[in-house]
Amino acid sequence: MNISLDPWVWISALLSLAIFSFLYKDNPFYKFAEHVFVGAANGYAVTFYWHNILVPSLFDPLFRQGKLIYILSLIIGVLYFTRFIPRLSWLVRIPIGITIGYYTGASIPATIQANIIKQIQGTILTKENFLAWHAGNTGILWSIILFIGVLCTLSYFYFSKEHKGLLKISSRIGIIFIMVGFGAAFGYTVMARVSLLIGRLQYLLGPWLGIIK
Amino acid sequence: MNLVDLMLKIDRRIIYLVLAVVVILPLIIPSVQHVRVMPPVEKLYNAVDTIPVDKVLMIDFDYDPQTQPELEPMALAILRHAFKKRIKVLALSLYVQPLGLAKAALDQVVGEFNAEAKSRADSIIYGRDYIFLGWQPPPLVPILGMGESITNVYKKDYYGNQTDTLPLMKRVKNYNQVGLLICISSGDPPLWWVGYAQNRFGLKVGVGCTAVSASDYYPYLQTGQFSGLMVGMKGAAEYEELVETRLAIYKHRKASTALPSLTYAHLVMMIFIIIGNIGYFIKRRKK
Repeated sequence: MNISLDPWVWISALLSLAIFSFLYKDNPFYKFAEHVFVGAANGYAVTFYWHNILVPSLFDPLFRQGKLIYILSLIIGVLYFTRFIPRLSWLVRIPIGITIGYYTGASIPATIQANIIKQIQGTILTKENFLAWHAGNTGILWSIILFIGVLCTLSYFYFSKEHKGLLKISSRIGIIFIMVGFGAAFGYTVMARVSLLIGRLQYLLGPWLGIIK
Repeated sequence: MNLVDLMLKIDRRIIYLVLAVVVILPLIIPSVQHVRVMPPVEKLYNAVDTIPVDKVLMIDFDYDPQTQPELEPMALAILRHAFKKRIKVLALSLYVQPLGLAKAALDQVVGEFNAEAKSRADSIIYGRDYIFLGWQPPPLVPILGMGESITNVYKKDYYGNQTDTLPLMKRVKNYNQVGLLICISSGDPPLWWVGYAQNRFGLKVGVGCTAVSASDYYPYLQTGQFSGLMVGMKGAAEYEELVETRLAIYKHRKASTALPSLTYAHLVMMIFIIIGNIGYFIKRRKK
């Protein structure tokens, strides 16, 4: 056992324990640590935005180098604050409109290509997809299962027609696939949370208490 | 309270206590657990391994302290792999929070290699072997901009150097000189890289993600949009295994040492779920 003498290690260890104390019940130690975390994270972000973005990308070019075109960016940015002045609050639509326009224009083609077209191509029964499963001879089988699974799952979400006859059968099969998906997602979520717990305990037992390497 | 009620109403604090014990004990008393490497991780390893000599590996560090335990071991393993194979590295981050963690990971691995280096040629030199580009918001702008020119997007690196003066950047102009991008992330950035950099510029994308994101990302591996996938602590342990067995790098394997705790924690949770279900069915039968 080799307890750390570094005050920063002690601070982070004690704050970790304060956060863990919520597992027993809500308490002032937890609240204190939570507020410190939120404050530190925001303070860090604001400082970083000021020194690394606003100053070098806007204020320096505009006020020091005299690039007047940057005044447009400044005005558009400042319009966000009109949200707090009821008489002028309608002006906030301008920067919001520009932002939404930029992101929508950029993301629609990319999303359709990457998330829809490529995924549909990946579902179609082709030789390339059979090989993509890395399952050897059973790649064909898994591709067929995927194909059926996608169709049946989609049929479950088809609400314009009563689930009777063939649609009832396919939607029931779809539910099985949905359940398998939820099960996998839940399993992975558990793994992620336990991993985070392990990470924190590794820190407490390692750098702080010096029990493990 | 009878036994059935007890099975149905186990105090959550007892569950936490048992979970803490089964997680802590394997960390204090380590046990060997064989790490079986799965195809998605092997695929990623091979993608890094086969980067052409005239191209670089770009790593997007997008993990913050909340997801550091899962993702940091991945970053360390990939950096060890790249530096051992003398693959040039461009590091960057799409968010502010990961910057410090990215720098720490780079410093650690560079320090490991330089401690064993016998000459300057053996060493990992900043500007020659790797560059930390830093951060440029918003994420979409650097992703799209680097397709045209990396030095135009990152005029200065993380340390304030003019990027176009660094030796490595003399031959790296845009994505054409990037053999593979690996995004180590706890959120959506892997999909942005695929959507904006891969579709438009043909960039190959590999991913290291948290376990929570895994079920969202597997379809992209199957379609070939991801060149490989590492999932959570288990994925990191698999990459560590490959780095150790194939490259003979024997460093502390943080993810691998955590696997027994992960296994026992899962077993405990399964046991509690089974106990709860048995209690539920017994009670329903009694009614």
